[in-house]
Amino acid sequence: MYICTMNLSHVWAIIKKDVDIELRQKYAIGGTFLFAITSAYIIYKSFGELKAMEWNILVWIIVLYAGLNAIVKSFIQESKETYLYYYTLFGPLEVIVAKLIYNYLFTLFLSLVVVGVFSVLLGNPIEDVSLFMKALLLGTLGISSVFTFVSSVSGSTSSSATMMSILSLPLVLPSVLIMERTTAVAMRLINDSERYEDLVILAGIDLLLIGMIVLIFPGLWKE
Amino acid sequence: MRQNWWKFLGIALLIYTVVIGMSTPLKPGVLRIDPLSIGQNGNDSLRITHGETHKFRVKGYNTNFTDNDNTAWLKLDSIGAVMANKVNIVNDTEIDLTFDIPNHFPSRDTFESLTLVLYNKEDGTAILPDAIFVKSDLTRGDNIAEWEVNPIANLTDKPGMQFPYRSVLHETIRNTFFHIPLWFSMFILLVVSLVYSVKYLRSGNLQHDIYASALVNVAVLFGILGIITGSLWAKYTWGTFWTTDVKLNMSTVAMLIYVASLILRSSINDIDRRAKLSASYNIFAFAALIPLVFIIPRLTDSLHPGNGGNPALGGEDMENTLRMVFYPAIIGFTLLGLWMSSALIRYEVLKDKWMSRG
Repeated sequence: MYICTMNLSHVWAIIKKDVDIELRQKYAIGGTFLFAITSAYIIYKSFGELKAMEWNILVWIIVLYAGLNAIVKSFIQESKETYLYYYTLFGPLEVIVAKLIYNYLFTLFLSLVVVGVFSVLLGNPIEDVSLFMKALLLGTLGISSVFTFVSSVSGSTSSSATMMSILSLPLVLPSVLIMERTTAVAMRLINDSERYEDLVILAGIDLLLIGMIVLIFPGLWKE
Repeated sequence: MRQNWWKFLGIALLIYTVVIGMSTPLKPGVLRIDPLSIGQNGNDSLRITHGETHKFRVKGYNTNFTDNDNTAWLKLDSIGAVMANKVNIVNDTEIDLTFDIPNHFPSRDTFESLTLVLYNKEDGTAILPDAIFVKSDLTRGDNIAEWEVNPIANLTDKPGMQFPYRSVLHETIRNTFFHIPLWFSMFILLVVSLVYSVKYLRSGNLQHDIYASALVNVAVLFGILGIITGSLWAKYTWGTFWTTDVKLNMSTVAMLIYVASLILRSSINDIDRRAKLSASYNIFAFAALIPLVFIIPRLTDSLHPGNGGNPALGGEDMENTLRMVFYPAIIGFTLLGLWMSSALIRYEVLKDKWMSRG
């Protein structure tokens, strides 16, 4: 097996580099948020008034697609030579952990922005804010991990954007469905006495996915 | 030839499954009971008040009423039963029964449900649970002697092997030998494929990659057949080919994950990279399959057996006569799947040889 060491300062350096690149190439991050806000605005203008369940579903669909668009380039934004250079500098574990953390924070921020825009335009139906936040924290972790892994797989295929969506959408489905149900409970749309069980399952799925990624990625990175 | 014994075993088990699974008759059962004294309302059950005499027409399934001494009871759970005082045979599958419904009931429940028990020597026992609901709101159970005059006794089973008769399933109970074993063997093939993917990542031997992908191919085929047989079964039991049931939709998503893995393979030209990526994705897909198929359907309400508290294969949920065909069918389908994938593997290996020769 691969023996991996992890140096936290290396992880931090990769995250910092990603943030720097993101801020330098403003089109990417700007495009993602513009996509999210435009979709929210289209929904606002076409629906006018939105029921809580639809609010819930549309928020997650927008987060899903905006996140997909943003994370797809996670492993292809830099040239092959740059990756060869990273390969000499960092271990695979450091790279994947850094990417996971960065993409998680990005998706989290993105979903908060979408929720914020929806709340301003269409009102805020959330009743149990703490439950909603817990579901959001755990659900976006699962979504962003799957997207990160799939972007590392689909990055080297000929049509990475298409591959990304057909590979990752079925994979994120369990996380999205459970998160959607828990947030619906947070809006008092459905009664569920087992809401904390749902959160535990969400966390369990996250752990399973991240564990698999950490196990598999070192083999992929060797290319 | 000697190393091919398992292929013959698989085919033999499948032939056994088809022949025995299709030719064994169902146990005699009761299709429906209709009131003749009230006027037919078309329902399986009807309401009757205590202390009345009623005549019913009973439709049997696989029964032989003529030339047999038929007895019938209406059974009130754990108390006793009343025997039909007049039995009129119409033909082999139809019989008229007349019952005196007792005046007294043991409890003050508004309705009592009575189970119909039919018996004759040739057919053994046939039962229709909740055949009749009787209105019993007036009387109190101090006199239950009427229930104990003619107790149910001397019941025997029909000799020979039969599959159980179930009211909704009827003859579709035979799908147990196709739908469920197809899913079981799909899962076994996916596990074997997972093992080969892990082996590939550890060894870098391209042979293992070919094994893994061939197994996924056959597993996807079995999964699609499993969905089709399940859908047909749903048509005859639930009344529709497809419902919004979680189990169905999660299984479809699982299929999508694996079809996506086949598309991923075809989108990469470099052999080594293709092998590495599809092995990684295969392992990841299996990890994602577990919550889809085993966790989420158990959390929510579902029509499908084995989920939402419905019975499935455990303990008393399945009869031993079914198990005698069910387990061989699982082994048979798995061996057939392995055979199919070994043919695919040979084809892929030959193709690779041909390509590398130029």
